[in-house]
Amino acid sequence: MSQAWLPLATLATSLLVVPLIFALPERAWRARTALNLGAAMIKVVLVALMVWGLYQGESYRFSFTVVRDVTFLLQVDALGLMFAGLSSLLWLATTVYAIGYLEDSPNRKRFFGFFSLCVASTVGIALAGNLFTFLLFYELLTLSTYPLVVHRGHTKALNAGAIYLRYTLTGGLVLLLGVVALHVMVGDVSFGEREMLADLGPEAHGLLTVLFLIMLLGLGVKAALVPLHGWLPRAMVAPAPVSALLHAVAVVKAGAFGIVRLVYDVYGIGLTYQLGLLTLLAVIATVTILYGSMRALAQHELKPRLAFSTVSQVSYIVLGISLFGPFGTIAGLVHLMHQGLMKVTLFYCAGNYAEELGVHRIDQLNGAGRRMPLTSIAFTVGALGMIGLPPVAGFISKWYLGMGAVQANMPWVILVLVASSLLNAAYFLPILYRLWFRPGPAHGIGEWPEERHLGRFETSGWLLWPAVATALFSIMAGLLAGLPFSPLDLATFVTAEEYTP
Amino acid sequence: MIERLGGDFGAVLLVLGLPVLLGGLAACWPPRRSWPIVSFSLLPLLALAWLAHLVLAQGGQTWHIELGSLTLQWRANGLTLLLLLLTQVITLSSAAYAPAYLLEEIGEEGKQLWLWPLQGVLTTSLSLIWLAGDLLTLYIGLELMGLAAVGLMLLPGRVDALAAGMRYLLLALVGSLAFLLGVALLLGAWGRLDLTGLALAAEPGMVLWVAVALLSAGLLLKAAAFPLHAWLAPVHASAWTPVSALHASLVVKGSFFIALQLWLVLVPEARVAAWLVGGLGAAAVVWGGLLAWRAAKLKDVVAWSTVSQLGYLLLGFSLLIGTTPQVAEVAWEGTWLQLAAHSLAKAGMFLATGNLIYSTGESHVSGLAGASRRMPLSLLSFGIAAISLIGLPPSAGFTAKWLLLHASLEAGYWLWMAALALGTLLSAAYIFRVFRYSFVEDAEPLDYRGVPWSMELCALMLALASLLLGLVAEWPLMLLRAAGGGA
Amino acid sequence: MPPLLDALLALIMVALAALALLDRQLVRACAWFVVFAVSVALTWWSMGFAWLALLELLLGALLTGAFLFHALDVKPWAGVPQGRLARWRDPVPLTWRRGLLRLLPALAVLAMLGMALANLADAPGPLRAGGLGLIGLGLWAFALHRHLLRRLLAFNVIGTGIFLILMGLVGERHPAAGHGLVVTGLLVALLGTALGALLIRRLSALEVRSAHGAAGAERGGA
Repeated sequence: MSQAWLPLATLATSLLVVPLIFALPERAWRARTALNLGAAMIKVVLVALMVWGLYQGESYRFSFTVVRDVTFLLQVDALGLMFAGLSSLLWLATTVYAIGYLEDSPNRKRFFGFFSLCVASTVGIALAGNLFTFLLFYELLTLSTYPLVVHRGHTKALNAGAIYLRYTLTGGLVLLLGVVALHVMVGDVSFGEREMLADLGPEAHGLLTVLFLIMLLGLGVKAALVPLHGWLPRAMVAPAPVSALLHAVAVVKAGAFGIVRLVYDVYGIGLTYQLGLLTLLAVIATVTILYGSMRALAQHELKPRLAFSTVSQVSYIVLGISLFGPFGTIAGLVHLMHQGLMKVTLFYCAGNYAEELGVHRIDQLNGAGRRMPLTSIAFTVGALGMIGLPPVAGFISKWYLGMGAVQANMPWVILVLVASSLLNAAYFLPILYRLWFRPGPAHGIGEWPEERHLGRFETSGWLLWPAVATALFSIMAGLLAGLPFSPLDLATFVTAEEYTP
Repeated sequence: MIERLGGDFGAVLLVLGLPVLLGGLAACWPPRRSWPIVSFSLLPLLALAWLAHLVLAQGGQTWHIELGSLTLQWRANGLTLLLLLLTQVITLSSAAYAPAYLLEEIGEEGKQLWLWPLQGVLTTSLSLIWLAGDLLTLYIGLELMGLAAVGLMLLPGRVDALAAGMRYLLLALVGSLAFLLGVALLLGAWGRLDLTGLALAAEPGMVLWVAVALLSAGLLLKAAAFPLHAWLAPVHASAWTPVSALHASLVVKGSFFIALQLWLVLVPEARVAAWLVGGLGAAAVVWGGLLAWRAAKLKDVVAWSTVSQLGYLLLGFSLLIGTTPQVAEVAWEGTWLQLAAHSLAKAGMFLATGNLIYSTGESHVSGLAGASRRMPLSLLSFGIAAISLIGLPPSAGFTAKWLLLHASLEAGYWLWMAALALGTLLSAAYIFRVFRYSFVEDAEPLDYRGVPWSMELCALMLALASLLLGLVAEWPLMLLRAAGGGA
Repeated sequence: MPPLLDALLALIMVALAALALLDRQLVRACAWFVVFAVSVALTWWSMGFAWLALLELLLGALLTGAFLFHALDVKPWAGVPQGRLARWRDPVPLTWRRGLLRLLPALAVLAMLGMALANLADAPGPLRAGGLGLIGLGLWAFALHRHLLRRLLAFNVIGTGIFLILMGLVGERHPAAGHGLVVTGLLVALLGTALGALLIRRLSALEVRSAHGAAGAERGGA
């Protein structure tokens, strides 16, 4: 049974909000907030409906022909739903956060319009059923994030925007060339029709390898694989909710998700393994993980440190994919979700410190745990999760990664894991130490750079609760990993599909 | 003569005659608002619907019109319908844009009244070109179009407009002389002017080559193809906005259409020559993009981008001529889709540019600093049209580029893929240069004039059409396939 | 039709065209052009195209001439003006390189045309040579002259050359098609000349006004 309207409606909830927001006047604060929150909640409900339906064995498909042999296809599968669920959940949280963050700042209409467009493209990426549709939303994402990155409008932001575009548009173009070439070779490939490429026979393997590399290049830009990561730290000039979204679900994750799609649903893990491309992926991921962690260690400001940490953490997903075997796959997929939850928490907290206390540098954070306990707890949860300590979600990812490495007979990966965890600890633990154990302005030593009192609690409620909520989710994803509908459960579901022929 | 042609010829006559008639009427009773223009413009659209009904029901149509001992041949197929529709939609939008523009921006200076009949003549001559099946009709259409276009360019009446217009006039006249010389050679050698007859009769040889070279040189000059493009931007810089929109989106395409038509008829196997034209196209893509990137004035950016975008169309020559049927089939659709996409997007972009200049009072790109603070609708229209020009999804420009890439890859023309890729990056560069200025926050606040809503709406509609056409591209392409418009 | 007469006519036409294009004084050049158009009408008459002769007389000589003189602001009752348009030299000095660069395309067109005509089956006549000569002269003048009126004259001469070649090629076999093309061409040439002439008038008026304005501003400043 096929229901076309559900994926369409999910896409439409954020897409239709865009013209409405642009139509509202700048000062219609309440209407805009209601619209944003309403749409975000409807989307969460719709995605939940689809998850429920998928477990019941329903299939959702919507397609029409764009030009000869090219179809626009929205299709719901477990992998896509994982991503859609993540983005709709975090959209809700980030919308709340952004409303608080941008209170009284100019250009809010423009911000929220493009913000919704950005989420619409993310959901489009999640629900895309073939490479053409994926590409469509992938490029739309680039377009919709540009105004968000340059939102502040000062020279630094504009330069960061230019660099961002240079990287991502070139990446998109390279991806387009690869997708067109694949299309010329085999026609329209829907995700999941892995046998189409496998059936081509060994004489096509050379060409397929080249195409894989081209598409990996295109996707790697957004996934911030070293050496294509240059735009990410610079894009930090964007407002905190944008950074949060960019790092947790939107841009970086879209790249990683694209690589997952490429490996599992276009080439198929078997063919990729046969072509010897998994080893290559593992090497790239290792380099990125270690390089990102090293650079993070060298940063003195909070947001750049988090940014380089993203470079490193997203590559865990790639590393998981590159481990041939169910455990590796589960690790990669589950980290797609976990990293999003944890990273978004960290960015919310960084934004809170900046808004409430004016803190940007790490050495200014002394004793902030006392001034802002809830935020600091949330930050601690996120940081411990990143290091991989139980019971936070990050532990599950690393555990499965380790098992995957054993299964794939690549024991050196465990060494990489240990090294990177140590590095993670090295750049997160000092922050935690400063937060909780170093006396600071809250103990009467020195002064916060620019303290404001934004709300009844330690900061404005709009800023606080999203951070607390995502931190809770990160813990729950780890604690309740064994229950149905948890990220791990979904990932296992996807993996089971992948490995049963 | 018309009786023998049957009733269906009435539809053709209506399609051709109504624009001139309406233009004349508008000159007598100049419209002050947009709605009378829109409602009267439904008439030619209805005539077109009648023609479309005939063509879709009975397949491609041909009419022989006998004037004494002279026989003209006109025909209508899917491609004709597509181009006619495009012409009417764009003319309608630019005409609906005009009253408010004339009233607010131009005031009483200039010869406003002439705008309407000249627009009518332009539409008719373009329709004649799309319908023409012989070289004489093409020549008449081409000349009418050229003269009407020059007349429209001269309307502002300022020194710079006149100087640019004079230059354009001389170039157009030279172009038509080259065209006429080519036609003379063809007529002298094979004694016929109808394209179907020439396709059968023409034999390769010196005469054919010289004739095609002369014809192409004349047409490519008029189409502002790469080495012959220098006249384009000065002409646009001083022209009225709705005229620029018409010119960039339709007039240059008329010449391109004739050139492609003639090549397909006369030298369908000339692979090397077509490759050379494709090379010119690739150079145009790059050079036009660079010029647009460096341009200081907003209108120049848009005008030079036309040169770059026409390069994509010239690539179509090399993909259509002397290639395998599979490649030609894809390239055929890609070329026409690109033409439609660029026409809609460029018209929308020119109108949006006119609105931006109107509301900020600045004609330089740097004058837009901080414009997005107010998030004027014109900037949005500009952006939407730009998506199609850059070729980002889901615009028609993207779908067309997809098809062209597909064809180049299948034909093994790697260089063209590189040109398409480079063109994309360059167009992104010059478009986002404009946007970069608009996002500047610390600029001095500008005085904005409110843009009349009819002007905003026209620009937005065209831009949206170019965007959405990308998703429903199958529909116009089906038209192309259904009614015998094949290569 | 005796070939001698043809040759004579061709010679006259080329000579008149050369006079029209080379005369340094614009009013005289325009007058030469009118005479040239009359000679073309004579040629059409001798070739047996009475209608074309009439049209050429009417459009080519009378109306085009009228517009040309209008552009120069010459009125029949006022004699020759002494204004700045009467004598005119190119503002941009023509270097050898620039001249050559402009002439090269013209030469290429001529060479291609010559080869194509040589490849056509039928016998060449003196009129065709005359047509080629006119095209050559016109192209040369168009390439080297900068004054708008001179370029208009050159354009008209090239056009006439093309018409002659065209009718020489097809006149006997397909008169209808040839007539159609030539009549369209004549009309276009007339319209183009008219538009150009009006433009020249307008431009010079604007320039005079802006020169006056500048002078006035200078006086006011001083």
